[in-house]
Amino acid sequence: MSRGSSVCAVREGPEGNLLGRRSARRPSPTAGVLAAVALVLACTAAVYPLKQITAVASLGVVYLLGVVVVSAFWGLWLGLLTSLLSAAAFNFFHLPPVGRFTIADGRNWVALVAFFVAAVATSTVSERARMRTLEAEARRVEADLTAEMAQLLLGRTEVPDALALIGRRLAVLFELPSASIELTEVAPDARRQAIPLMAGARRLGTLLVPADLPPRVTERLRHRVVPALSAMLGMVLDRERLIAETVATEGLRRSEAVKTAVLRAVSHDLRSPVTAMIAAGSAVRAPGLAPGERDDLGRLVEEEGARLARLIDDLLDLSKLEAHTVAPRLAECSLEEVIDSALATQPGNAAVDVRIDAALAPVRADFVQIERALANLIENATRYSNGEPVIVRARPVGDRAIIRVIDRGPGIADADQDRIFEPFYRAGDGAGDKHPGSGLGLAIAKGFVEANGGRIWVESVPGQGATFVVELPAATGERQ
Amino acid sequence: MSAARGIARRILAVDDELQILRALKATLRAQGYEVVTAATMEEGLDAAAVSTADAAIIDLLLPDGDGIELCRRLREWTSMPIIVLSAVGEEEEKVRALRAGADDYVTKPFGARELVARLEAVLRRTSPGPEESVLELAGLSVDLADHVVRRDGAQVHLTPTEFELLRMFVRNRGRLLTHRALLVEVWGPEYADDVTVLRGQIANLRRKIEPADRARRHYIRTEPGIGYRFDPK
Repeated sequence: MSRGSSVCAVREGPEGNLLGRRSARRPSPTAGVLAAVALVLACTAAVYPLKQITAVASLGVVYLLGVVVVSAFWGLWLGLLTSLLSAAAFNFFHLPPVGRFTIADGRNWVALVAFFVAAVATSTVSERARMRTLEAEARRVEADLTAEMAQLLLGRTEVPDALALIGRRLAVLFELPSASIELTEVAPDARRQAIPLMAGARRLGTLLVPADLPPRVTERLRHRVVPALSAMLGMVLDRERLIAETVATEGLRRSEAVKTAVLRAVSHDLRSPVTAMIAAGSAVRAPGLAPGERDDLGRLVEEEGARLARLIDDLLDLSKLEAHTVAPRLAECSLEEVIDSALATQPGNAAVDVRIDAALAPVRADFVQIERALANLIENATRYSNGEPVIVRARPVGDRAIIRVIDRGPGIADADQDRIFEPFYRAGDGAGDKHPGSGLGLAIAKGFVEANGGRIWVESVPGQGATFVVELPAATGERQ
Repeated sequence: MSAARGIARRILAVDDELQILRALKATLRAQGYEVVTAATMEEGLDAAAVSTADAAIIDLLLPDGDGIELCRRLREWTSMPIIVLSAVGEEEEKVRALRAGADDYVTKPFGARELVARLEAVLRRTSPGPEESVLELAGLSVDLADHVVRRDGAQVHLTPTEFELLRMFVRNRGRLLTHRALLVEVWGPEYADDVTVLRGQIANLRRKIEPADRARRHYIRTEPGIGYRFDPK
């Protein structure tokens, strides 16, 4: 759940829960009754001074204030109760004869009945207004929730992470002890009810909420939340599936290409050293061999064997890189040492001019892997440099180290520059045997550099040589 | 060469690959060594006890245990030099084998020359000849007694630490020196894990004694993640 920004999208906002803030804050019925009594008493008191000014029968309207307030906050039933209480208080305290529940004058009967009807009507209207407001607020919160769910599901967050966040959000909005969304079909149990998430007839997942919810809440979840959630989830899952399929197809296509190339290499590159070794083995046992010839044959077996071993190592490295099972053993290493080590693996006649900036900081990388990568680059450069010295430069640029391996060879055509790091790809394919190599060196170099958090690319002007550039993060400040 | 000293040195070779044992036997015999072979860890332990070998060459992968275990068991009673054979990419195993008491390693596939050179270097540890106090190499001369180092005839000034490092290297020519061994010997046991210090001093020493052309540097070789080897070609 660490995937950054979209997490912030979950607002623990002020809008309260989905049942409306008023209902959430609605005081208990006891408080309602107390409020009703208090308001009736207040209105009764307020009528006393007013009686001096106007006819008492017309002052029933004062009690409507209390009725409105109670209906608006506590609903219809307490509103009606307030109406009754008001009628009784109006009768008892103000309608003559005062102090008794009897009414002497017929006109006062009319006043009381008129008041009572008005009070009931007021309660009903207030209750309606209250319900509408609650409804509107609930819809607004639902709309916000839908927008939020869309943002989480369609954003960069992984689907399971997004669902976990949505679950938490639902729990907050609906005041549920728990709510979770599973991408599987889950059976309800004693504690949890399972609301299916469907797209048409397809089961996408399950919304799990506590079993003992008020039916009102369950209804709301089922009808106001689940349809939107299901629709969006269906869309996102479809999208994920399509992406996965595309990636798999692409991977398959690539691995097919690699397999073909491997087979081609096996049939030619592996077989030729073996053929040479078998031939030399038979030849060495032939009678009448001059000592010099025997020596030559022995050397041939050694050299061909080494070539074979190198090719096998390369294939092994490449298969590990393709399978992403290369775990670099990261440690602080001095590029000076890495480059010296890489040079030590080159044949004695390789001409390499090395210049390392004194300010170059150590890098955090796998020594052996970076050494292999650089050795491959230097070997490749030597192969194409037509005897001109290969130049190796290393210097710091910001918090990164840049190593350049420069040759004065024929260079690489633009069209080949992207493909040159592909396994078995040889620039200007066909000239293969003129520059024998496994055809894997650059692919392995790229694989190792990238596995160590670096970048590799080639810069070349055809006819003027090529520069392979490796960029690695410096060790300072970047520990893991 | 051992044969030249009269008594043939006896080498114990433990590997379950019979073809490799065959090749080892032929190579070592040609160099005047006597060879005892074993194909498993148990056989190796028995053979070591019975034959009083002078050194052992042990494959890291054995059918009834591993070479590291065999190193550990041998080290319980013998200090004979041990070289382990490892495959490419088994850095972790190499380090574990060295910790378990191996003296050096050779990576498969190996050439006969390399193996014999390593074997001679580790055997020198147990029977050092008269200490060479003067070393003359192409382009480098070291006089340990007089503390004089010359590169291409010109005297080179070394700090005391650099000189101690060089002394360790010269005395252990061809032998693998782990970071730890160098740090303990030159700086003291409390510095055993301070690889950064060592790396800095090695860089200085290289700058002073190695040829200016980096591609021609060849005295001090880095053994990635393990240590260094003074191995002038």
